[in-house]
Amino acid sequence: MKSRIIRISLLFAVTATAISLSAFIPSQGKPWVVPEKFVKMASPVKSDAASVKEGKELWAKNCQSCHGKAGLGDGSKAAQLKTEPGDFSTDLVQKQPNGALFFKISEGRSDMPSFKKKLESEEDIWNLINYIRTLKK
Amino acid sequence: MKKLSIIFRNTSILALVLFCSGFQQLVAQDSSAVKEVKTKPVLKPVKSTFESNWVLDNQTVMVAKKGTFEMDIQHRFGTVNNGYSDFFGLYAPSNIRIGFSYVIKNQLQLGAGFTKERIQWDATVKYAIIKQKVSGGSPVSVTFFGNTVIDTRKASNFVTFTDRISYFSELMIARKINTKFSVQVAPSISYFNNIPGYVDINGEIQPTMENAHIAIAAMGKYSLTPNMALVANYDQPLTQHVTNNPHPNISVGLEMTTSNHTFQVFAGNANSILPQNNNMYNQNDFTKGQFIIGFNITRLWNF
Repeated sequence: MKSRIIRISLLFAVTATAISLSAFIPSQGKPWVVPEKFVKMASPVKSDAASVKEGKELWAKNCQSCHGKAGLGDGSKAAQLKTEPGDFSTDLVQKQPNGALFFKISEGRSDMPSFKKKLESEEDIWNLINYIRTLKK
Repeated sequence: MKKLSIIFRNTSILALVLFCSGFQQLVAQDSSAVKEVKTKPVLKPVKSTFESNWVLDNQTVMVAKKGTFEMDIQHRFGTVNNGYSDFFGLYAPSNIRIGFSYVIKNQLQLGAGFTKERIQWDATVKYAIIKQKVSGGSPVSVTFFGNTVIDTRKASNFVTFTDRISYFSELMIARKINTKFSVQVAPSISYFNNIPGYVDINGEIQPTMENAHIAIAAMGKYSLTPNMALVANYDQPLTQHVTNNPHPNISVGLEMTTSNHTFQVFAGNANSILPQNNNMYNQNDFTKGQFIIGFNITRLWNF
């Protein structure tokens, strides 16, 4: 009886500790569902040097502090986020279609701000996406 | 008064020449390019001539996107001349302004603020008349800025209510030279209902200064990185007063920009923050090293 109580208490303590600690571990986030319209959306902005340069400047000003200089998810604010910003150099982001990235940058979610009102125009978002494609390893 | 009208005339001519030199190119391009208008895409305005509504002591041509709400915190410490005894002015009496503005429709911004010096409240309006285009179109941006300020100290400081009020208007003309460098010039006029005076030998009140004061400002921004720039501003008084003529103001500083904030820290001469007070009453002389440390913080929200 005594050993059974000890085993149950130990199990409870371990479970409670695990649940408590999980609050401090950033999650990958729930799956981010992109509407079909955006999945199929093509970029109207050619990915040329000018567009990538514009995108790089926008990245430095608006994205770098969380996503990091090279998009590795190691920005100075990344540690404070509830959701990991992710590694943009991997297939996790690079395999997503342009329209999906457009949707996510425009609308935002949780820690990720919405930029559709912040940025001057939709062209800015497409320029950002053209720059994000250059982060691929 | 004759001197004033000559100065005003000459300054108006200068501003008009600067404006027309850009306008001529606009007209010339439009008249010769009429046939091409239908096939050319919409002319895009240049971005980020300046990163903030402020460069140090003055407004810039920037009017943000519609629905942008801005909060300004501006602080000016005492002069550095007392050295360590007041830690180069940081512990000396200071001046502060907190301001707000909102872009109610594209190109039109309204604002208000309050300043410690003379417990002044201000209401502002800013309108972007022309925006410089990336290619073709206007080679410059032109924006109007104006304010009305009320001094809310005790009534014993004034004879009539209208003595409390002053006005400021300026026309800002700026050009983004390249991705790193932008410049702006801005002729302005300040007007004070109430001005200093003295009682002369005949017992009559004589003014020591003119009610209207004309000045011209020039500023520049040089980007070191997408987030950091060197900024500088110069204000030159043009009106000659009987006495107490204001000194020019030079300010140089560093600007740091993030998505929603702009921080500027600088050394300058004028400490009044409100432009009419800076232009009319700056008595800090840069030739005598009478500089102050100051900072501006702006925070943006988009609704």
